[in-house]
Amino acid sequence: MYTDYMMNPKDVKDYEKYERTIKTIQKRFKTYGYQRVKTSTFESYDLYSQVGGAINQKEMIKVIARSGEVLVLRPDGTIPITKQVAENNEGVKTETRYFYIQDIFRQSALSEESIETTQAGIECFAEGTPETDAEVIALAIHTLRDLGFSDIKIEMGHAGFFQALIQKVQFTSTELDQLKNLVKAKNIVELQPFLESFTIDEALKKAIGQIPMLYGNPVDVIQQARPIAITPALNKTLDYLLEVYEILELYGVGNNVVVDLGLINQMGYYSDVIFQGFVEKFGKPVLMGGRYDQLGEKFGATLPAIGFACEIESLIQALGSSVVSTKPLIEIIIIYDANKLEDSINLANELRERHYRVLTCPFEKSLENKQESLYEIKLGHEQLFEYRRSVQSFSSIHELLKLIDGAKGGV
Amino acid sequence: MDYLTLALPTGRTSKQAIALLEKSGIVFPDFQNNSRKLVMYDETNSIKLILVKTADLLTYVEKGAADIGIIGKDTIMEMQPDVYELVDLDLGKCDVVVAGFPDTVISKDVPLTVATKYPMITKAFFDEKGLRTDIIKLNGSIELAPLIGLSDVIVDIVETGTTLKENGLVVLDTIVAISTRLIVNKASFATKTSKVEGFIQRVKGILEGSQ
Repeated sequence: MYTDYMMNPKDVKDYEKYERTIKTIQKRFKTYGYQRVKTSTFESYDLYSQVGGAINQKEMIKVIARSGEVLVLRPDGTIPITKQVAENNEGVKTETRYFYIQDIFRQSALSEESIETTQAGIECFAEGTPETDAEVIALAIHTLRDLGFSDIKIEMGHAGFFQALIQKVQFTSTELDQLKNLVKAKNIVELQPFLESFTIDEALKKAIGQIPMLYGNPVDVIQQARPIAITPALNKTLDYLLEVYEILELYGVGNNVVVDLGLINQMGYYSDVIFQGFVEKFGKPVLMGGRYDQLGEKFGATLPAIGFACEIESLIQALGSSVVSTKPLIEIIIIYDANKLEDSINLANELRERHYRVLTCPFEKSLENKQESLYEIKLGHEQLFEYRRSVQSFSSIHELLKLIDGAKGGV
Repeated sequence: MDYLTLALPTGRTSKQAIALLEKSGIVFPDFQNNSRKLVMYDETNSIKLILVKTADLLTYVEKGAADIGIIGKDTIMEMQPDVYELVDLDLGKCDVVVAGFPDTVISKDVPLTVATKYPMITKAFFDEKGLRTDIIKLNGSIELAPLIGLSDVIVDIVETGTTLKENGLVVLDTIVAISTRLIVNKASFATKTSKVEGFIQRVKGILEGSQ
């Protein structure tokens, strides 16, 4: 009789997937020594204006506090965590590893996209070494593997490489945006004429023009990039990427990694290694991250760090039907006669202690209130256990547990 | 078998593109038979072809429903999709122009009313010139707008200029020259790299051969 008021079955099932996905991710993050944290849903708007180039201000959902202060609904995880760590751990050299799984709120221009998504991410506050960076990327791949993806590709780039190349050219901000868009789209066709319109040193012009196509097997790409690494610093960057890759091979995930020197991330705060992850049959990156060594300075601390985040909803969508549970929700239903209320509660308690999922229901209601369950127990003048239409009587909890075990064996 | 999915917009672009692909040995028999199927296959090269509306094509590629798409630069500029734009196919060459009556006066004092299929391109162009505009989005027969006084000028693509001429309009300014491009979904590029690159090399080979 309650069927008219049911939640959409799809939403119920989706929530099960959602919970399972989160559990898997959380388990993996913990095995790499990460500790879960939570930040406030409401953040100060000023915090995000302070960190320029991170999150489009138009995308943030603003609310006004009683004091008149403008707040935003948490639009990201990294900035608030960095701020707190910067304020609390100033000068501390110990590495700190945090993870979060919480909702973030952003409203993009496309109204059909959901405002509220759940993000799972890690922040590793540790100095930039190939070992640390490789460990974080290995964790990203490990997590995607746990979730059941088989075709995982991490594109690894370096925010500093492109930055260092263009440093010597005087671009206006519009021109720089144009250039970045051409590089991001790997649009060689228009990149060449675009560069021709500036008076740039020929070697530099050639270098910038080649960046978008420096994509593929890390060892090959780094070798191809050597001629355009026209300063010692650029060569060092390439050495660093190569070292990260070599360590990733030790983790046994070398096959999952490609280098893309044309990778430019939207988040303005990335300073060094950046990466994004793709999986089979999903058109967008499922995971993004990178090193942000200077972000802590905005909050007055030297706080080198690297992290990544992924969106649970995208992961579930990318997984498709492969995480659907087959377990029925209710394992045991106890149907009792009016005078057996106490017995039924006692029995339910015993079974719940043993982690069975149990419902109780008085006999007169059991015809209307139909619940799907694996086993049925009837408490009347007899105590009966029913499984797949075979009915057996029992006289104690121990006998009942034996019957359940027997039925399990028969599944 | 894992297919590479190629999206083409229905209409003239698809015929031109298919002719080009044929030269590189990629053939869709159903297309030759004037079939009305929306999905066709080249079994030898394991390529799946889907025919979609021009306005929807970027959505297919951006979401990864298609790995590769072939589409005009005008649509790319208008929609600014997050995809790789790898090859200029040198087809469908034309200009995006501002057109109107020969005696049209464009001044900074009054906002200019512009009818167009391309509000984003239009806004970017006039904003850069520092001209105020009222943009009217239309979906077809843009030339009609100035004729009946709906707008002062139009922004549209022009190939030969015949339609403009017949309606007494002239090109007032050229915004950009465009052509047909090959675009690739970023995730497909990452997870199907060798297949996608193989396809692109074949297409590039034909383009270089014909020059």
